[in-house]
Amino acid sequence: MITGTAVTKTFRQRGNVLGRREVPALRGVDFTIGKGGAVSFIGESGCGKTTLGRIIAGLETYDSGEIVIDGTPMSGLSHRRRQPYFRRIQLIHQDPYSALNPTRTIHQTLEAPLRLRARQAGRPRSWGDVRAEELLALVGLDPGYVLPRYPHQLSGGMRQRVVIARALTMDPEMLVADEAVSMIDVSLRLGVLALLKDLRERLGVSVLFITHDIATARYIGDGGELYVIYRGQVVERGATETIINEPVHPYTQSLLSATPVLHGLERPGPERVVPTEALDEGKADAGCLFARRCPFSTSRCEAETPVLGHDGGTGQLHACFHPRRRSVVPLETA
Amino acid sequence: METAPGVRIRDLTVVYNTPMGELPAVSGVDLTLTPGTITGVVGESGSGKSTLALSLLNAVQPPGRISGGSVEIDGLGDVVRLRGEELRQARGRKVGYVFQAAQNSLNPLKTIGKQLLDLGRSHDVADPRALVRDAKDLLARMGLDGARVLDSHQHELSGGMRQRVGIMLALVLNAKVVVLDEPTTALDMITQATILRIIREVHEERALTTLVITHDVGAVAEVADALAVMYGGRIVEHGPIADVLGAPAHPYTQGLIRAIPRLSGDISQARALPGRPPTLGTLPAAGCVFRERCALRMEICETVEPAPVTCGGRTVACHAAGHSLAPVKRKEYV
Amino acid sequence: MTVTVLPEVAGTSRATLRRNFWRGVWRVLRRKPSRMAGVGIVALFALMGAFGPLLYPANLPRDDNALYAPPSLAHPFGTDFEGTDVLALVVTGARYVLLTGLATAFITVALGTAIGLFAGFRRGRWDTALMRLTDLNLAIPGLPLLLVLSTVWKFTSPLEMGLVLGLLGWGGVARAVRSQTLSLRERGFIEAARGLGLPTRHIVGRELLPSMAPYIAMNMLIAVTGAVYAQVGLFFLGVLPFEANNWGVMLNLAVFSGGALTTPAALPYLLAPLLAILLLTLGIVLIVDAMDEIFNPRLREE
Repeated sequence: MITGTAVTKTFRQRGNVLGRREVPALRGVDFTIGKGGAVSFIGESGCGKTTLGRIIAGLETYDSGEIVIDGTPMSGLSHRRRQPYFRRIQLIHQDPYSALNPTRTIHQTLEAPLRLRARQAGRPRSWGDVRAEELLALVGLDPGYVLPRYPHQLSGGMRQRVVIARALTMDPEMLVADEAVSMIDVSLRLGVLALLKDLRERLGVSVLFITHDIATARYIGDGGELYVIYRGQVVERGATETIINEPVHPYTQSLLSATPVLHGLERPGPERVVPTEALDEGKADAGCLFARRCPFSTSRCEAETPVLGHDGGTGQLHACFHPRRRSVVPLETA
Repeated sequence: METAPGVRIRDLTVVYNTPMGELPAVSGVDLTLTPGTITGVVGESGSGKSTLALSLLNAVQPPGRISGGSVEIDGLGDVVRLRGEELRQARGRKVGYVFQAAQNSLNPLKTIGKQLLDLGRSHDVADPRALVRDAKDLLARMGLDGARVLDSHQHELSGGMRQRVGIMLALVLNAKVVVLDEPTTALDMITQATILRIIREVHEERALTTLVITHDVGAVAEVADALAVMYGGRIVEHGPIADVLGAPAHPYTQGLIRAIPRLSGDISQARALPGRPPTLGTLPAAGCVFRERCALRMEICETVEPAPVTCGGRTVACHAAGHSLAPVKRKEYV
Repeated sequence: MTVTVLPEVAGTSRATLRRNFWRGVWRVLRRKPSRMAGVGIVALFALMGAFGPLLYPANLPRDDNALYAPPSLAHPFGTDFEGTDVLALVVTGARYVLLTGLATAFITVALGTAIGLFAGFRRGRWDTALMRLTDLNLAIPGLPLLLVLSTVWKFTSPLEMGLVLGLLGWGGVARAVRSQTLSLRERGFIEAARGLGLPTRHIVGRELLPSMAPYIAMNMLIAVTGAVYAQVGLFFLGVLPFEANNWGVMLNLAVFSGGALTTPAALPYLLAPLLAILLLTLGIVLIVDAMDEIFNPRLREE
């Protein structure tokens, strides 16, 4: 179980002589990911979802707020003390081509972390070899074929499975999958997603799925929770099915409306929301961050800042002054 | 306004020289682009879709070469026979090309305006002022401030803006045939929707014949009139998009559509295709290229390559699909 | 278009991997005749350095009747001002030159790689401090310093020479390795290793270094040629004593005492060491071309 409260992060870019530019990546995010849960972070690139995922995996620091893992707050701990906690949260990289060292065979890649595990647990070295084969079989690969090979000899889908197997060497409680299938061939993507789903069911590993594609989140996160993130803030949060079928925040509705409609199989939802374009976004930080692009914004949206809540009696949490359900999702043609 | 030109690709074969000899990346492809329509070509890595697109410009780079067939474009003749200056003039003036990752294909050291003038000079444009005016009109049509964009460097523009600049550069010399290679990869959902809308609108206003190459069925489903599905260097299915998506006849198309997570319908029905896409080296020399992954595989598939059969506007190359093709249920076409 | 041909693989043991590696190296070298030529040339010089002095008596015989003799069967490159065979001089002089070159290359690459790696991997204060040190090293005017040093130090041992040249020359490698490290450490597999909690020793030694191997090997080879030029230049200028048999000394004597630039008699005496230097450099450059393919498994096995 991992929870975060009011987590913020600001990137300071090296600017010109006159000073640095500050880019807020996260503006106070709360989250809870329970044991064996499935949580998805949805948003566009630059919204902070990847940063948040990296913070959760312990690969990035945060400026303020608190992260609590299994009851232990992280902010008081030294880097060394945090490591055992974060080791149980493993990140699956977006790019299976750079996530594996091209100069090492799969056997060598898996051997190093397994040897570490064996030493920690006082197991003999040979345990590592057995475990490597177990893990590869678990992710649906043939160990005899894969072990002696170099990454370039495997397809994208196989590489991503190896990356998952490597993460599993740490017996993680949670996998953070950041756009884990976006670089894999379309026909193979679902195989990797199904594997993550399967691991969740079989091993009780919780999965944090980070993506810009809500349809993918629908596949992996059924029964789970979905967070819609816009410019470093959670704007809508709730059960995946609720958010997809009954979204109330105009930003969520815009994202859902933008998902391509497969004509012939589907027809577009009748109330598709098209946001105005943000060509110079981010000047004014007062009020609702989405107000400038929102087709339904009012003067209140420009002046006051909405907070996440159940206003209007919705099932999900949202940060909008004018929540309204709209039918934006494509409908299946009979 | 002049009418859009038609494009007829006949028996096109493109081979690549490899250590294992010359291997076909595209073999015996027939494809007709009806004047004034948008045709989508969908395929996975190694399907030969990008090679096919380059053939339209006769721009296949060594170690590849067009070894047979023709690409007839109205008003231009057979592109495969064009050489030197004729070919150079045809690129840009007759056939516009928006490169894969157009977001990164601009020169980072020059302003967009300078690059536009370079383009004009290399095509002996008599009136640079008119060229700039046309460019500004096009950019304005796509929702950008033309003057500002022309004064900008690549890094000052967002991904969606760069993509529009790419489209502008492809159209500014008044090309009537436009090829877009992966126009929406690496763009966010909302930006992707905007770009697709722009492609559709500009296509109609300027009476173009457009070819969109992509790995993402969703990206073409929104804009295309016709869809061609490529696998292993062949077009395995081709027809009106709603028909192909609504009632796919080739087992690969069926599998591909089933492998896309969608927002509508029963998500638990989604499945990955077994196996992996072929590479040049693993492509079988005889028989059907898809048989390794095919559920309907028959004895004849091992030895005889299925010939494309056209029936009621649809073309399918499959031994198993030949009979079931005739009664296609017409779907509502939006 | 990528075409992957899977090689026969059996077993995953270290010995198998090593055997596969050397087989791969052989395959890469055979791929182009120029590489084999380079290997041949370098091997020839290595043999010359190792066994050359054994072929001749400790004091090379002089022939007072054949001063500056033209090339002949007995003396393929003629003789020098004392009537000593020029070929013998080149062969016996190779050891000093090559040892210096190797020592310099080793020190340059070891220091440069260590400092560059550490700075790039640690970043922050360490990086700043080490890079200022590197700037300092790059700013040292090497030649004048050597001129001054040579007044107090005679450089009789090639290793001393190599040590000085190495200590003067690591700056460039350090900078290059640092920038490589900075870009590599952002790669997914390095981050994954950190996420797995693998020790820094492993990350640097097993993940980072092998990825930079072609780069380091190339720098090492090029450092050898640089060192050869540098020391030959020093001897040629005459700032170092003429104690050792040395190609630079030969050049110096040919030009300043023999007048090789004005009279043709001493020309072979000048050309022989020049040819040796040229050939050695050529051999090394021809091999450098193969480094990328040797250390990249994909290119190695294709």
